[in-house]
Amino acid sequence: MKKNKRPSGPKTFTDISTRARDGDAVVMTAMEFKEFVKTNGVKKAAKEVDIVTTGTFGAMCSSGAYFNFGHSDPPIKMQRAWLDGIPAYGGLAAVDVYLGATELDDSNNMMHGGAHVIEDLVRGRAVRLKATAHATDCYPLKEIDTYVSLKTINQAVLMNVRNCYQNYAAASNTSGRTMYTYMGKLLPELGNATYCSSGELSPLLNDPLYRTIGIGSRIFLGGGEGFVIWEGTQFNTGVERTPNGVPKRPAGSLAVLGDLKQMTPEFVKGLTFTRYGATLGLGIGVPIPILDEDMAKACAVTDKDISTAIFDYAQQTRARPVLAEVTYAQLGSGEVDIKGRRVPTSPLSSIYKARKIAELLKKSVAKGDFVLTEPVQRLPLDRSFKPLDTRSEKEAMK
Amino acid sequence: MKTKLVLNFNPEASNLPITHNLTAKYGLLVNILRAEIDEVGGKMVIEVSGKADSIKTGISYLKEAGVGVRPIKEGVRRDDEACTHCGVCISICPTKALILDSKTHKVIFKEEKCVACGVCIDACPPRAMEILI
Ligand code: SF4
Ligand code: SF4
Repeated sequence: MKKNKRPSGPKTFTDISTRARDGDAVVMTAMEFKEFVKTNGVKKAAKEVDIVTTGTFGAMCSSGAYFNFGHSDPPIKMQRAWLDGIPAYGGLAAVDVYLGATELDDSNNMMHGGAHVIEDLVRGRAVRLKATAHATDCYPLKEIDTYVSLKTINQAVLMNVRNCYQNYAAASNTSGRTMYTYMGKLLPELGNATYCSSGELSPLLNDPLYRTIGIGSRIFLGGGEGFVIWEGTQFNTGVERTPNGVPKRPAGSLAVLGDLKQMTPEFVKGLTFTRYGATLGLGIGVPIPILDEDMAKACAVTDKDISTAIFDYAQQTRARPVLAEVTYAQLGSGEVDIKGRRVPTSPLSSIYKARKIAELLKKSVAKGDFVLTEPVQRLPLDRSFKPLDTRSEKEAMK
Repeated sequence: MKTKLVLNFNPEASNLPITHNLTAKYGLLVNILRAEIDEVGGKMVIEVSGKADSIKTGISYLKEAGVGVRPIKEGVRRDDEACTHCGVCISICPTKALILDSKTHKVIFKEEKCVACGVCIDACPPRAMEILI
């Protein structure tokens, strides 16, 4: 550990990022930091450690990418567009489209959705672009059928409106049949339980009150660099929290953006959840500056201190009944107790990849390659999550 | 010695008392792990235990009777490059052939425990598990 002079009190964001840029910061992965706090305590950790790197890899719905293809000759104003048969939204301008990760083709083939096309592009493959249009005087072409790749596309930008959920619900199934859900295959009669968070490694669980992760934070995104651009959709601060601020239910989330051309197939993966559909497996990592003892305490959180509820997915309603309250340590042990039964668990979120991301990020932050940015605006602390009900025009105005 | 085999039958072969013969004629213990037989034939996953020589002659007997015989290793495969180690499969594999290594945090596929039940195939999000029988 470097023994250069360090301020004894709280450090500012600028102190820390300057030190990191000079290659002088003490950087630890979330795994290392928790061990360090266990042996040395929060006080010492706050003084000696500058940055903690977090990571998560899992199915991140509400993802997608926008592309600009350049103009054809004669030009076309794409109204309907398909990338390898998957519809992309063209109602933006002439040659800009947005491809959603969960989009499927007309036959609803779940083995190949928008997420798979995004992975193919990241792999350097060429994909078939088809588009149709109503011709205009300025854009006379009515249809085009060609191939594009990341080499031919101008901008290819991953832009996800909800990723990196801070905590998530767990799932099991009390019914007599196998249920195929976005939480995976749920075997009948409490045959298994699934959960989906990297727990103590997860970015927003190490910064539960969004003190350092905010709009403008530079992040590891799919193997490249990206940014937090907004609060994620469904951001919900009104959930029950532990005395340390850790939410016990899904709470915050992040909208993120990054250059698809920098990303790697190791951290961008097309996934299929049988009978649910396609989604994107994505790796995200965020470096957290240890500004003071409170931040050190927040990053010292372990799976024992983080809890969630296992919901019964047999109930096909918005408010599913809770089967059990459990900690991530219990979930991670491979078995949980639900109504007196030992139920085997599956993480869905790859802890292996989450750790790898934290390690990669640690290396590039320590070298000064990955520059921390201070948020230009904090994430909200007062968001509730409203339901969608069938209502009249008048009721909607209330 | 113990080994797991995947057997493929045509309709004629499905009527043969093959498990009985393996036991009676070759002194092998046969454990049926999975069987699917219909009018167009079928497949069976068995575990046979006995002397190495007897297993060999037992396999020759099966082949002569028109039964396709393959070791289970050729039955279920994992594409290691595609696997994200998400662990979806670990709670659904009935034989614990897929387990989480607590040191590396990787999901390991223990082929020798697999009974080719197929439960993991459609549960694996990147479709890394493949069944070939
Ligand atoms: S479900 Fe598939 S990707 Fe996930 S750990 Fe198992 S084999 Fe690997
Ligand atoms: S086919 Fe899959 S679920 Fe079935 S025993 Fe083999 S590894 Fe386990």
